[in-house]
Amino acid sequence: MLIACDTINSSLDKIMATKQKERPGSTPEQGKAADKSQPSTNGNPPIPAEKLKQIYATMLKCRTIEERIRVLFKQGRFGGNYYAAVGQEATEVGCAIDLRPTDTVAPSHRDFIANLIKGTPLNLMLSQIYARKTSPDQGRSSPAHCGYAPLNIITPASTIAAQLNIGTGVALALKMQKKDDIVIAFSGEGSTSLGFWHEAVNFAAVHQLPIVYVIQNNLWAESVNVKMQCIVDDLSLKGQSYGIPGITVDGNDAPAVYRVASEAIHRARTGGGPTIIECKTYRWYGHSEIDPAKYRDPAEVEYWKSKDPLPFMENYLKKHNLWSDDWKSQVLAEFQKELDGAIEFAEKAPWPEPEEALDHVYSFSIRERELNRKTWSPTNDSTDAN
Amino acid sequence: MALSTYIDAINSALREELARDEKVYIIGEDVGVMGGAFKATKGLIEEFGPDRVIDSPLAEGIIVSSSIGAALAGMRPVPEIQFVDFITPAMDAVTQQAAKLRYRSAGTQTCPLTLRVCYGGGVGGGLYHSQTNTTWFAHEPGLVVIAPSTPYDAKGMLKAAIRDDNPVIYFEHKKLYRSVKEEIPDEEYVADLYKAAIRRQGSDMTIVSYGYTQLLVNQAVEKMAANGFNPEVIDLRVLNPIDHETILSSVAKTNRLLIVQEDHRTLGIGSEISATVVEQAFDCLDAPIMRVTAPDVPAIPFSAPLEKFYMPSVEKIMATMEQLANY
Repeated sequence: MLIACDTINSSLDKIMATKQKERPGSTPEQGKAADKSQPSTNGNPPIPAEKLKQIYATMLKCRTIEERIRVLFKQGRFGGNYYAAVGQEATEVGCAIDLRPTDTVAPSHRDFIANLIKGTPLNLMLSQIYARKTSPDQGRSSPAHCGYAPLNIITPASTIAAQLNIGTGVALALKMQKKDDIVIAFSGEGSTSLGFWHEAVNFAAVHQLPIVYVIQNNLWAESVNVKMQCIVDDLSLKGQSYGIPGITVDGNDAPAVYRVASEAIHRARTGGGPTIIECKTYRWYGHSEIDPAKYRDPAEVEYWKSKDPLPFMENYLKKHNLWSDDWKSQVLAEFQKELDGAIEFAEKAPWPEPEEALDHVYSFSIRERELNRKTWSPTNDSTDAN
Repeated sequence: MALSTYIDAINSALREELARDEKVYIIGEDVGVMGGAFKATKGLIEEFGPDRVIDSPLAEGIIVSSSIGAALAGMRPVPEIQFVDFITPAMDAVTQQAAKLRYRSAGTQTCPLTLRVCYGGGVGGGLYHSQTNTTWFAHEPGLVVIAPSTPYDAKGMLKAAIRDDNPVIYFEHKKLYRSVKEEIPDEEYVADLYKAAIRRQGSDMTIVSYGYTQLLVNQAVEKMAANGFNPEVIDLRVLNPIDHETILSSVAKTNRLLIVQEDHRTLGIGSEISATVVEQAFDCLDAPIMRVTAPDVPAIPFSAPLEKFYMPSVEKIMATMEQLANY
């Protein structure tokens, strides 16, 4: 039996107890007070050992790729900017690791690693970083804005919460098409202040759409603390305003996130409608690579680094006799090799041709119109002009 | 052939497309049980059910953005904004998402939706039920913006828009809904989405307009033709991308250009057409390009004399034609 961490139990108890009162239809297991003397899985079956190892390995890859990208940026090897989710790996991996290729991810600017989790080829992801022709968008979007159509990862926009709205529409289509695919829409806590966010969640609730809204509450929206965004402690409470389940979970506790997400995904897949999951986590670095984040108390940063989701997961595996240092070293070495190859691929990959800036505006080409503007003279008649 | 109003043509196009393709659905405020504020969707919920004719929450943002997502996932949504004046909550959806999704994904993710918006003044609608915001969207590459002026086009272009692979904004003028009737084919047809139409061949000036003001141009031209004027009349039909070729070819023939638009003057459709004609057909012009537009005020005032002053009119068009001919 596996032990879900105390944080999630207490959070679940609090939220679900409230929810029980409001929504008698909720599953009874969720509302039961956790018996701390017994290992608890909140009524769910234990997470299989291989899954736990997969979660750790994926988090390790996420950490590795983002730390490497940060170095590449500092070395000036790619331009633009990058928005690292270092420190938030448990939220991303816990929520997205079980998605099917046909499920949709609606990412924000800080969800580059959702591509890694879902399986976007590394060569393409690094091509995105390097803005090369070989990137999924052929060099159009900025480095962190990686989408990938074959795996249904929506190419992100920079306007906050937009991805939630589009994701909600995808969920509407999935429901209309009677598919059992689902959507996960990632956002930060800052996005919950936007009207868009609320329009989307309300709409999903009205139509009971197959979507999970994951709020990665990393306490800071660029330089603004969450206390200046919203005065409720748990953003999952917003679910109550829309009549849908809302759960707050320790976002640095990957098994806890995984459990909560699995339940929400199952609910979405089986016609149970949307869920809000708030993952309480922390953004280790600045908003972007050019933000030194001096607005934060160093003690706060240190506190959260002490809650690093990777060692947490490592200890979790150790506790369940699933750990070996050799295994970790092997996973890391293999990934680093793959990553080195992808960086080399991207650095050698061709740039887009300049005129490709004119492509993909419409379903038809506008190149001719833009590149060859004709001149009319009085001697022209319409036949000459054509 | 059967005589059809503009709004019946819209209704008929929607019905045919809903029946033709199960991916097509309608969403908007009051489009379902009420059949639309102007009855454009009358009877459709009864025929196709509430899953395909969806009464949305009162939230323009999600009306459009959910349509973008649904279109991305293979549907053919036909969202409606009851009055284009209310589209502002959906501006992120329209300009940042619909217009840019194909581009930012290098054509791998697209959103073929048809956003019907009711626009226009002259009906005593006041500041927020009368606007003609065509320029906002004509300024956005990636969007197709159309404004049919006839029942034939209202039906044929709407059907073409729904089948088109680009996001289309379909401007329908509320004053056209029941004021024009036209024989339209009984059998199914689809109109060209991307070409301007030469409504009248002529030689002494080119007049370009779209939507409701096209009707005013037609009336003005009819009167002026009796006085010996022989203008060429172009119904723009599509405001983005503009069919400049048809206009330039006409100006090369007539050497004079008048543009009539209900949108206000600054950076309107007329501005772009003027600039293009000056750039590409400067030598063809025998007179300055002239425009009849709404004045640069924030919106259409309500009180009748104020609204009348604001709106382009047959008289204003006739006077400007006179001025252009005599230059």
